[in-house]
Amino acid sequence: MTSFIFADPWLCHTVHRMSLEPAELARYSRHLSLREVGVSGQEKLKAARVLVIGAGGLGSPALLYLAAAGIGTLGIVDFDTVDISNLQRQVLFTTADIGVSKAQAARDKLLALNPHLHIELHAEALTAANALNILAGYNVIVDGTDRFTTRYLVNDACVLLHKPLVSAAIHRFEGQAFTYVPKRSPCYRCLFPEPPPEGAVPNCAEAGVLGVLPGVMGTLQATEVIKLITGMGEPLLGRLLTYDALDLRFAELKFVARSDCAVCGTQPSITALHDSPESCDTGSLQQISATELHALLQQPVTHQLIDVREPHEYAAGHIKGARNIPLGTLTAAVPAPIDTSKPMVFICRGGGRSTQACAWAVSQGAQQVLNLQGGTLAWQQAIEPDMNVI
Amino acid sequence: MGDHRIMSCTVRVASPLRSYTHNAASVSATGSTLHEVLADLERQFPGIRFRMIDEQERIRQHIRLYVNTTMAADLSQAVAPGDTVHLICALSGG
Repeated sequence: MTSFIFADPWLCHTVHRMSLEPAELARYSRHLSLREVGVSGQEKLKAARVLVIGAGGLGSPALLYLAAAGIGTLGIVDFDTVDISNLQRQVLFTTADIGVSKAQAARDKLLALNPHLHIELHAEALTAANALNILAGYNVIVDGTDRFTTRYLVNDACVLLHKPLVSAAIHRFEGQAFTYVPKRSPCYRCLFPEPPPEGAVPNCAEAGVLGVLPGVMGTLQATEVIKLITGMGEPLLGRLLTYDALDLRFAELKFVARSDCAVCGTQPSITALHDSPESCDTGSLQQISATELHALLQQPVTHQLIDVREPHEYAAGHIKGARNIPLGTLTAAVPAPIDTSKPMVFICRGGGRSTQACAWAVSQGAQQVLNLQGGTLAWQQAIEPDMNVI
Repeated sequence: MGDHRIMSCTVRVASPLRSYTHNAASVSATGSTLHEVLADLERQFPGIRFRMIDEQERIRQHIRLYVNTTMAADLSQAVAPGDTVHLICALSGG
């Protein structure tokens, strides 16, 4: 096997190119037939090191297609284990994988698909302390995370390390994607300078997601990676691609680099990584723990308990005395279906939607608003282990 | 009514904001500036404006508003009849 160095038009660093073995020539023959890829492009793919952060809805299709395409080294960051609720969209895994480390299960599936790969596992959470070390060893980073803190951490690390980033995110029936190449395009903070307040944008566990949606978006991410490595086509630079699965509608919205960007601007304030809380402006939101709420409920009832989950979640199990008003119904109803003059506690599954309900209630003039920290999951853990929480 | 039709634009609603629009992905609104369009949206869908605009009348940092393909810097951005206003919200799901 020989290797040599080439300078890629999109990647901002040099990458080795590795020659193909006979079995690989057969495996990748449909790529080799493409003038835009050919042997040269396939050798670049073999030499490339790509890190996929999150082996979930987005990471599953991205990893499968990158493995099939012959990316030589795939890194996987995921600290989680496979849960039965993952299988509706995380197509890397099977029922037999439930309870198994996602990173390890992913490695087994990908090597079964393509034994020519080298897989590197990082079965740990990405943090400010380890992000630079982990990302530094790769040519392209794929963001498939499911929380804002990690999304901003990955963006900042890529800017600081001058690494290309292929990012996507999903919510219910909508997806977004963009690509960042250092010095050539705006970064995520140029588009969205700060994450939203806690609970303002629920994650997939809270809001739900159409299982096939990350399949589309993760496949787009894999496409971008292959383009960046081979140098073909036009990457999604300075363009936010949005996809609405219900209407089957794509939109492309341009955004530009901001000179005042906190991380890639002319005078960046972010020059090192720091772990930050999920929320940046929860303001004066008052939290109440499950234990405190339990104690409160032993007193004569004065608080309104409002469970803002969907009816099927409420029906599965709820705190006694809580009234079900789904968040969408609550915030859309005129007049407001609550008595803003009385104290109230908002409840949801994990504390996200209820935070949003609290902000809404305050905007309606409510003075005494509490958020059940950690939602019914925390209640189940601390107070009522037999409660069914879905 | 006739004037409203003339000044009507299409508003594409980000997924996290659709709880306000009864899950509609696309709605109509009137106005010759973003400020007026958002006022009309608030009239139709109470509460939606506060999710996008803060108490200082600034577009929230995780929200971007586009008129057709142009990102709006503020609410004075002109909107013409037939334009499409995109309400874009940062998403975190993966």
